[in-house]
Amino acid sequence: MTPALTVTNMSKSFAGPRVLDSVTLSIEPGEIRALVGENGSGKSTLIKILAGFHVPDEGSAEVAGQSLHLGDGTASEALGLRFVHQDLGLVDTLDAVDNMALGAGYPSFRGGIRWRQERKRARGLLTELGYDFDVRRPVGTLAMSERTALAVARAMAPRDTPAKVLILDEPTANLPAAEAQRLYQLARRVADSGIAVVFVSHHFDEVFELAKSVTVLRDGKQVITRPVAGLTEDQLIELVIGRKLEQVEHDAKAAERKAVVLEVSGLGSEVLYDVDFAVHAGEIVGVAGITGSGRDEVAAALFGGRDRVGEAKINGAVLPKNRPDKAMAMGMGLVPAERHANAAFMTSTLRENITVVRPGIHWRGLILRKGAERTDVDRWLERLDVRPRKSEFTMSDLSGGNQQKVVLARWLRLEPKVLVLDEPTQGVDVGAKSDIHKLVDEAAAQGTAVLVASTDHEELVRLCHRVLILRRGRIADEVSGGRMDHDLITAATIGRDQADATIGGDQPDAT
Amino acid sequence: MTVDTTTEPAVEPEPGGTEAARRRRNIAATLGLDRFSGVYVWAALILIFSLWVPSLFDTATNARIIAGSQAITAIVAMGLIVPVACGAFDLSIGGTVGVAVCVVIWFQANGHGFVLGIIVALLAGLAVGLLNSFIVVKLNVNSFIATLGMSSILSAGTYWITNGSTISNGVSPHFTAIGQNLLWGLPLPVFYMVAVGIVLWWLLEYTPVGRYLYSIGGNPQAAKLAGIRVGRITTGAFVLSGVVAAFAGIILAAELGSASPDIGVPYLLPAFSAVFLGATQVFPGRVNVPGTLIAIFLLATGVKGLQLAGAPSYITSLFDGAALIIAVALAARATRRRT
Repeated sequence: MTPALTVTNMSKSFAGPRVLDSVTLSIEPGEIRALVGENGSGKSTLIKILAGFHVPDEGSAEVAGQSLHLGDGTASEALGLRFVHQDLGLVDTLDAVDNMALGAGYPSFRGGIRWRQERKRARGLLTELGYDFDVRRPVGTLAMSERTALAVARAMAPRDTPAKVLILDEPTANLPAAEAQRLYQLARRVADSGIAVVFVSHHFDEVFELAKSVTVLRDGKQVITRPVAGLTEDQLIELVIGRKLEQVEHDAKAAERKAVVLEVSGLGSEVLYDVDFAVHAGEIVGVAGITGSGRDEVAAALFGGRDRVGEAKINGAVLPKNRPDKAMAMGMGLVPAERHANAAFMTSTLRENITVVRPGIHWRGLILRKGAERTDVDRWLERLDVRPRKSEFTMSDLSGGNQQKVVLARWLRLEPKVLVLDEPTQGVDVGAKSDIHKLVDEAAAQGTAVLVASTDHEELVRLCHRVLILRRGRIADEVSGGRMDHDLITAATIGRDQADATIGGDQPDAT
Repeated sequence: MTVDTTTEPAVEPEPGGTEAARRRRNIAATLGLDRFSGVYVWAALILIFSLWVPSLFDTATNARIIAGSQAITAIVAMGLIVPVACGAFDLSIGGTVGVAVCVVIWFQANGHGFVLGIIVALLAGLAVGLLNSFIVVKLNVNSFIATLGMSSILSAGTYWITNGSTISNGVSPHFTAIGQNLLWGLPLPVFYMVAVGIVLWWLLEYTPVGRYLYSIGGNPQAAKLAGIRVGRITTGAFVLSGVVAAFAGIILAAELGSASPDIGVPYLLPAFSAVFLGATQVFPGRVNVPGTLIAIFLLATGVKGLQLAGAPSYITSLFDGAALIIAVALAARATRRRT
């Protein structure tokens, strides 16, 4: 059988070292291939070459036996390569029909667009993928999984040439576990129709669940391509990072109860309703829930980035709502989700990104002392192992993982009483993720009360003493002690009350 | 035990950045071509016009005229930097200059003395700033639209105050001295310009407020979630540009000794040109005080030289308009290179 996609000796360098070094791949029709590697390992470069954004220094590619003209976006499209990029490439203010037409045009256009026909077509394409939502709603108001489905539907929509290969770049990066399951089904459905699926992922459980084979890239080189069967997660992690990951025994992270620092009662927002909880000094509490459960509202509602009702207290003092400045002054720090939109100043230096909270510390004699500021920042860059360790570099010079460390440093520098983290390792590579987890542990060890909202349930298991499960805006369950298991958390978020019973054989600890 | 992070992190290489291009950029950086290109262009202009029209251009008097005539534009432009730094436009500065001129002259013409006139003019600038910020911050109107509307309202105000004609009676010689006297051979407004420049440069570069302004300009949502009071800082920025524009108007009134409606409008465009051209200088990618001053004098030298070389008077408008477009294009490019 002719492979759906072959890549031969592909190399690329921008300035200096090769970011892609003689990579050779071959993928069969109907195969699901995971492409894994840390940030900067060359995954994105490879995909961008296939999409025609970059021209490789050497190498060639074939799609279903036909030679691909590289460096030309229309050529890869014409041969049957279909892409869903990480940011999905949707316009939030347009509806599903208009987004489907981006790039491809309106098929019904004959002197005018037949809107009814277009809507029917869009609905049909989405139904094929198992989704059904109002195609006239602006895409910005859709759930993340619906947006992802729309991007996939657009990629798979019939064109002049049939699709041969679907390439998904971190398709589940923003999806909670239950919604990721829907995407797996979707990918399987596509593969079953004889189309090769390549997907990039940082989530290894996804690799094991979905992929038939896996290609690991490290520093631009192909480390291995092998079937997933027979591979363990530890082996895969070692292949990706080229070292053993520190093992943290977390199953029953001892919770030494100290004083309550953060006390929340009757918290409500758009989705949240009457949520009560407390976080003690030195404790790490997780928040899990599917999209629409209110998980993504907790952090912003507490800090003041989003309107709320109810009361939040830090050490007994009432936190006013809608006042991030007050929250900060009272000792709360927030690492928000979606770094680019909510946290990073991309054109500012690392120094300015870190000292943007309380630059006044270095304001002496009516002058902001930049020397002292630099020393302060250098210390934090070193502590968090940010690379490159240059306080005057621009934020945009850094990889995602390092940018996230800079945002974390911003708040650790203030030694907050309460640290609220929302998706703290979104789009971050394995090494940086492990570093960030260690830093959160350290902060808690020093007495900070930590609240982590995350869709990455392994992260919650790794970090938390206990995890609050949100369903439909309320706390439905709490997982701790011996029940701390990511499958169990996933099960609890999708609403099985006896979650523990669904995990084969595991006996719940009566804590 | 320790996590060995030998994996080199991903500094995503700049697409298309070759080794040779990098070396060229380094040489350029050493000469200051990237950050001080305006100074080189300025020097080139002075040289060209000195050779072209030596008898007229190459004189101390001419240098003094350029310095004096540009001081007010420079003050207006520096005030404008503040809202632009936090991502807001203030198109009402020209109107504010005009209102301040009319107010300060009207008070003297009606026998109230110039001190009261100055105070009321400054308060008018403050009020305009507050009103702008109320519309932008509280009513959530785009700053471009809000201040464009305000600009027209202020223009109407100047006609109302002056009854549509020029006022020049009753102006105190003590008042005109503020704008016309010389110190060390230079007109006083040049010193006001330097003073305003120092204060605003300090504010933007050496105070937490300056840091907040640039942060809001960079990413308002992130600024809010970093505990910055975006609304309050934006309000301050509009108030400051309003007061600075009113100050410039008072100096202008002292220079002219008279008031006429719409006198302030011509100051708007050159100020914008200078601020955006200035954003390509000294700290490329962000609006800044020294860059703006370089831009002002670069543009003024060009205009004056061409005028002395016999160019028609409309050359000023032509030059300012072209400079604004080129400056914004260059500033966008500088920002792109940093992202």
